[in-house]
This record gives sequence, C-alpha cells and structure tokens, in this order.
Amino acid sequence: MAIKTAGYQKWDEARRAPAWGVWAIVRTGLTIVLRRRVFWILIGLGLLNFLFNFAFIYLKATLTIQNGMIGNFLDNYQVTGTGSAFAEFMFAQASITALLLAFSGSVLIGGDYRQGGVVYYLSRRIDRRHYVMGKLLTVGAIVSFITTLPALALYLEYGVLTSSFDYFLDHPRILTGILGYGLVLAVVQSLLLFAIAAWVPRTVPLVMSWLGVFVLFPLLAEALRAIQDNRTWLLLNLWGDMQRLGSWCFGTLNENKAPGALTCASILTVLCGLCLFLILSRVRAVEVVQ
Amino acid sequence: MPLFALDHVSHSYGSVSALRDVTLQVEPGTIGLIGQNGAGKSTLLKILLGLIRPTQGRSQVLGCDVGSEARELRGRVGFMPEADALIPDLYGVDLVALAGELCGMPRKQALRRAHEVLSYLDLGEVRYRPCGGYSVGMKQRLKLAAALVHDPELLLLDEPTAGLDPDGRDDMLNLLQSLARRHGKSLILSTHLLGDIDRVCEQVLIVHRGTVRGMGRIGDLRAQFRGLYRLSWRGLAAGFLDQLQSAGVLLRSTDSTDAVLVETPSDWAVRRFYEIAANCNVILRDIVPQEEDLEDLYHRVIQAA
Repeated sequence: MAIKTAGYQKWDEARRAPAWGVWAIVRTGLTIVLRRRVFWILIGLGLLNFLFNFAFIYLKATLTIQNGMIGNFLDNYQVTGTGSAFAEFMFAQASITALLLAFSGSVLIGGDYRQGGVVYYLSRRIDRRHYVMGKLLTVGAIVSFITTLPALALYLEYGVLTSSFDYFLDHPRILTGILGYGLVLAVVQSLLLFAIAAWVPRTVPLVMSWLGVFVLFPLLAEALRAIQDNRTWLLLNLWGDMQRLGSWCFGTLNENKAPGALTCASILTVLCGLCLFLILSRVRAVEVVQ
Repeated sequence: MPLFALDHVSHSYGSVSALRDVTLQVEPGTIGLIGQNGAGKSTLLKILLGLIRPTQGRSQVLGCDVGSEARELRGRVGFMPEADALIPDLYGVDLVALAGELCGMPRKQALRRAHEVLSYLDLGEVRYRPCGGYSVGMKQRLKLAAALVHDPELLLLDEPTAGLDPDGRDDMLNLLQSLARRHGKSLILSTHLLGDIDRVCEQVLIVHRGTVRGMGRIGDLRAQFRGLYRLSWRGLAAGFLDQLQSAGVLLRSTDSTDAVLVETPSDWAVRRFYEIAANCNVILRDIVPQEEDLEDLYHRVIQAA
C-alpha cells in the first residue's frame, strides 16, 4: 500500500481543558462494554429483575383499584414501596453488577495494562488523576445504570401509580436510601475493581480474585462468626458491609445487631483508601525495571 | 529556541541507572537516537514527554519546562511508543479521535481530524475495524495517526519501523521524511535500524550506557573522520601490507589480492601510501577515500568515548 504523501492538514484551534478528557474516557469505556454481546446478556439479566418489579407495581396499581385483596397478595412479593423492599431490590441488582464487573473489568482496565493502553492515555494532555477519574466514573456509571437508576425509576413509578404524590413527601428517606446505597455500591465497587484489575489484569485471575472477594470472604466471615461466636467477623463480608450501610441510608438497619453502620463505614473507608493507594502506585506510563 | 535542552539530567530505576548526568542542547530538525538495548533511549524519550520525572536535573522541550508544564507540552508533542499502546476493542477511527480528545480537541473536530489523518496514512478503508485485528504494519500506522491527530510540532517515535516488511518500512520512512520536509515537523527517531536514521535524520544523538557519547549533524560527524581508504595496486602485496601495518595503518578488509580497505592514523598524509608503495616496488592503481556508514560512525564514536 502506498502512503499518500500529500493531504496532511494543519490543526490549530483552541483546546479544551484536560478535564474534558475524563468524559471522553467514560464514553469510550461504556462504548467498549456495550459493544460486547456477552455484557448485554448480563445487563439484560439486571434489567429483567427491574422489569419484573416494574410490572408488579403496575399490576398492583391497576388491580388494587379493582380488587384490594390482589393488591395485598402482591405485597407479599415485596412490591410494597418500603425502604427495605428497595434495599433488597438494589442488593439483588448489585449482585448482577458484580458479575458484570468481574468480566468487564478485564476489558475496561486490565486491557490497559496488558496492551499498553496506560501509555496511550498518559502520553496525551491529561494527568493520571484524569485517567483514574475517567475509569472510576466508567465503572460507577455501569453500577449506577443497573442499581440506582432502576431503583429511582421504581420509586417514581410507585409514587405516581399506586398512591398520590404524597408518597414522595411521606417517604423522603427512600430517596436518600437509593442515592446513598447507590453511591456506596458505585464507589466501593469501582475502586475495588480498579485496584484488582490494575494488579491482576488477566481475565481469569481477575475474575477469580473479584469473585473471591464477594463469594469467598462472605463464606469465610460466616464460618468464623459461627466458630468464634463473634459477629465482628461479619465485617469481612464486604457485601454485608455495603448492605448494612445501605440499610442505614434507608433507615431500616437494626442497630441492635452488630456490626453497626459506623463500623461498616469505617471498614469500607479503609478499604477504599487502600484501593486508591494501590491504584495510584500502579498508574504510570513506565514499568519499573529492577 | 532549541528543540530540547537537558541540564545535568540523570534517572535511575531503583539501583539501575538509566541516564547519567546528561547535558545537551538540540536544534529543531530530524534527530536520530541510537544506542544499544538498555542504553537509555526510551527513558530519554519519556523524560522529554514528561512521563517520568528525572531523578536529577532539568529539561526543556519546545521552550516548556518538562517538570512544571508537562501537560501543556504533551499537547504540542506526539508520541508513538514501541509497545502496541492500543485499545483492541475500539475501532481505528475511535481510537484516533479519542487521542485527539485527550489532547484537548473538541469531539467533532477530533473525529473529523481522525478521518483526515487515517486517510492520509492510507488506513481509511479499515477505520471501522477493531484495532485489535490490525496487522503489524497497520498498527504502526495507527499509532502514528494517534500521535499526529492533534498536529504536534514534535514527534517522538520509538522504533516506528519495528516489525514492518520492506515495503511497509519504505512507506513509513517516506512518510516521516514528508512530515519533516513538507510539513515542518521535528522528529526524534529512536531505532536500532541505523539505515532508517541515515535516510530520515539530519542529526544524530548517540547514547551509550546512559551517557551521550556523540551528537551533531551526521555530515559533520562523518567529516571528523577522513581516514578510510580503499587501495588497489599491481605487484606483490605481502611486503606492502606489512609496511602499511608497521606504519600504524589498520587493515579493515581484504576482499581481493590486489585491493584492501584501510584505516589510517589521525596524522596520516596520503603521500605516505606512495612512499611505502615505492619502497615495496608496488604500483598503486587507486586510492579512494571511503565514506563512513552510520554503523561505522556509531562504533567509532563509542570506542573513541
């Protein structure tokens, strides 16, 4: 193939601030995930639960008007519009998100370490903080898309269809809970995924490490709690920590049962700090040769 | 304004010293960076781009202080790394447009410019293919496109012809020549292929074990060395060659019984060939001064240093 030696155009226009690069990274990350069919299956699974709940709320709204008993029957399926129902819904959604992130982490972040993508990003007019922020926001957007946004949609639907607008005024804590639990899920999962993918970039080890954190740790925590008869061991279960913190946001946490929300928040804060340290120590354009 | 200036720059990776107290100033143009593996070429490129901060010293590129203005500098410099440095799931056009956006271009302009640059590099037909499936030659050109998209003043090229077939290499070198001569880009070309540098570059920077052993215009460096001659003669050579060697002349290659390539000492005068030939009853047919190729120049500079 002959390369054309004419036709090169000059470009000399005003440049945007480097922070715009964060948006470009987020958009590109989402494009990469949405371009793979396997991820659509997992996203579809997440949306299935949402559609199920959406349909039940719709049914309840229309059937209750005709027959109140059917409405009560449907409430057994947690279409109750209470804080604990939304917390349960978000927890179920978050489990699917964890599965999606286990596989997409290798594409979104691990690939940058395997294929030299970090050099590609850092040799442009951005700093590593822009790169890190872009990647974290990408993962956070995926988490929010499957957990927070559907929960918000259900909250709106419930308020609009099954009751008067007073529902929103009577249950403001649910909105706080959805946003708070959603934020906890997005922040913790994005930092944890980035830290693991940066150090274990290959797909299979990454999936094993990620699932180890969310499957092995809960089993270990439960076993240690049973052996030592000490509920503090439950802190090892990160899912549980996030769930308890989420329940606290919804105002449905039973504070009499240890560990409390503050302890869980402390554990998750320390974990996030550690992840951030691991991320920053790994994001550089040059491999250190010893 | 110099293209770049280094002031007592050193850099170490742990206990391994990659660059040692390098001080130099280089004028704009096409510069070839040569040296062995691990000589410090890639480290030098990354310091110039502000990707790594030197352990000691200061550096300036295009008038920007690399330490404090690295981000602005990267907006004016294009970098083509040796490694793939691609995002395999992205289409070629998206990858190049993203590079433009990360350099501060608005989305629409970056996309338009990506199409232009890909057409210029003859990648127009594959622009909507995931770049993970590109051939080696296409990947090299794609990396160049990503380095060129924001129209940089300076291009840092790390092994741009690595893995290319002869035609692809020829195309790439033509392109680099065109960028330098027709579009006024300065190039810093780091490669092991000295022929590439000979063809594209006007200046050369020789790095050896973390230090700069030689620097300047290739023509000027060659002019410092005028001691290589091809001699041919008629008559018995044995005595003639012995006398040449005892006079300090080095026999570089003997490709026939009546011709030899010799390297003379620095204070050598050509008439001494005739004197020695006359003593040995040899008739000299030809004394042809030889031009030193870049490989010889490289070895000579390394040895002299």
